[in-house]
Amino acid sequence: MTNLEAAMADPGGDNDDFDMVLDPKVQESIGRSLKAHYDDIVNAPVPDKFLVLLAQLEATEQRAAGASPDDLK
Amino acid sequence: MISNDFKDGLIREIPNLRAFAASLSGSIQLADDLVQDTLLKAWGNSDKFEPGTSLRAWLFTILRNTYYSLYRKRGREVQDSEGTYAERMATQGNQESHLDLADFRKALAKLPEEQREVLIMVGATGLSYEEAADICGVAIGTIKSRVNRARTKLAELLSIGGVDDLGPDRTSTAAIQRARSETVGF
Repeated sequence: MTNLEAAMADPGGDNDDFDMVLDPKVQESIGRSLKAHYDDIVNAPVPDKFLVLLAQLEATEQRAAGASPDDLK
Repeated sequence: MISNDFKDGLIREIPNLRAFAASLSGSIQLADDLVQDTLLKAWGNSDKFEPGTSLRAWLFTILRNTYYSLYRKRGREVQDSEGTYAERMATQGNQESHLDLADFRKALAKLPEEQREVLIMVGATGLSYEEAADICGVAIGTIKSRVNRARTKLAELLSIGGVDDLGPDRTSTAAIQRARSETVGF
């Protein structure tokens, strides 16, 4: 299954090393870079528009809840 | 009625959603559109979220499905016309550690999507192999082999032989973010 998948994902490529174990130091270095890349974006300021959007969704829902159920029947 | 817990959870996950979206699409611009769509869908489907399970995994599933169904083509077009965020940021970084980060991002962008997404999920977001497998709808063994191939490919692209210090330089992060906001209208 994994060999088949590797062959399909990497046609014509060299699949012999796909489960090769990397030097732990290299793995660690890649791990640090991954975190640096990801955390750089995670730590960026969040644009206000997302909070505005959620506030609008909440307000719409509250209006609907306030106006709707039994008293309109 | 949507609970405050759910709404607070969404707000808490926004930074992670942006980072995952940017990693997936290779574009900061598309990332925020993708996050907005994800929040709208999550709100509309809040009754389908099971309390006690991982909200992050649930939101990543929505974001990923949205990306593959609507954004993938757009992502390629944006990258073709404007280059990836990695390339833009590469020209803005003037400190060595950020050049390293920019190099890393360029290499990351070259990975096949299916490898890049799992490497990010498992290596940066704190999701487990099992959660990544659920999100992608594949077996855990498949996730493991994708992660292995992604690492091997990255090491190859970066020509890592020894150990480099690729740690982030926090003092210049703010400057990079300012530069980025001026360039892409964050």
